[in-house]
Amino acid sequence: MKRELNDILCCPVCKGDLELVVTEENDVEILTGALICHACSVTYPIDEGIPNLLPQNTTS
Amino acid sequence: MPPYPTGLVPDKNQVYSPREDTFLLLRAANNEILPADTVLEVGIGSAYIIWNLSPCKLALGTDINPHAALLAHTQGVNIIRTDFADGLKKYFSLVIFNPPYLPTSPEERGDDWLEFALDGGPDGREPVNAFCTRILNVLNDSGRVVMLISSLQDFSSCEEIFSKTGFNYTVVDTEKMEDGEELRVYKLTRKNQMIF
Repeated sequence: MKRELNDILCCPVCKGDLELVVTEENDVEILTGALICHACSVTYPIDEGIPNLLPQNTTS
Repeated sequence: MPPYPTGLVPDKNQVYSPREDTFLLLRAANNEILPADTVLEVGIGSAYIIWNLSPCKLALGTDINPHAALLAHTQGVNIIRTDFADGLKKYFSLVIFNPPYLPTSPEERGDDWLEFALDGGPDGREPVNAFCTRILNVLNDSGRVVMLISSLQDFSSCEEIFSKTGFNYTVVDTEKMEDGEELRVYKLTRKNQMIF
C-alpha cells in the first residue's frame, strides 16, 4: 500500500483514525506493517502490501 | 463467508473473470469519469475495470476476497481488503460497483470465494441494499455512483432501494443478452446534498 493512502483509511468498526506502523517498506509502498485503532484497541495488519481492514474477530 | 486461505498464493479460479457485465460497466464508467475524479471500485474481482479505467486523480479498489486482493496487488492496483467501503473515509467522487446478483438461497450457498462473489442473497438484491446504505459514508456530496443491475434482480425493486436509501437515479447504459436477460448501468447521485 502506498504511504499516502493512509490519509483515507479509517477503522472499519468505529470509523476513527488509524496509527500507521511500518515494518517493511520499499521505494513504492509499505509491504508489512500495521494500522492501529486505539479507540477499539485493534490492530489491522498490512501483509504483502495489502492492508486488511476486515473486522479482526472474523479473520485469522 | 468462505474460509480464509492460509497461503498467500492467489487462486485465479476463486476470482470472477470479466464478462459482458464487466465490459458494459467499464464502458459506462469511462463515459462518466473525469480526470479530477477520486475513484473507488467496490469489489474489484479480476481488477479488469480498474485496470482499464481512463486516467483520474486516484483509483482504489476494495475486495473481501483474498485471492482478488492478491491478484490486484500483483498488477499494481491500489487495493484494500475490506467489506464494501467500511475502512475508507469520505473521499470519493466516483464509485463503481458490480454487485453479486445471482439469487441464491441459503441451501445453495457454497464455501467458495467465487460463489461468494456471485451470491446476491435470496432475491439477488441483498448486496445492492447493503451497498446503498453504506456507500454514503465515503461518497463526496457531489459524488456519483455507477452500478450494474441485471433484470434477474428486478429493476423496479432496485430502483425502490435507490430511492429509499437517498439516491436519485438514471439509466446510463443498457445491453440485452441472448438469453433475454437485460443488463443496465444506473448512475446514482445523492438526493439531498447536506448543507449546514
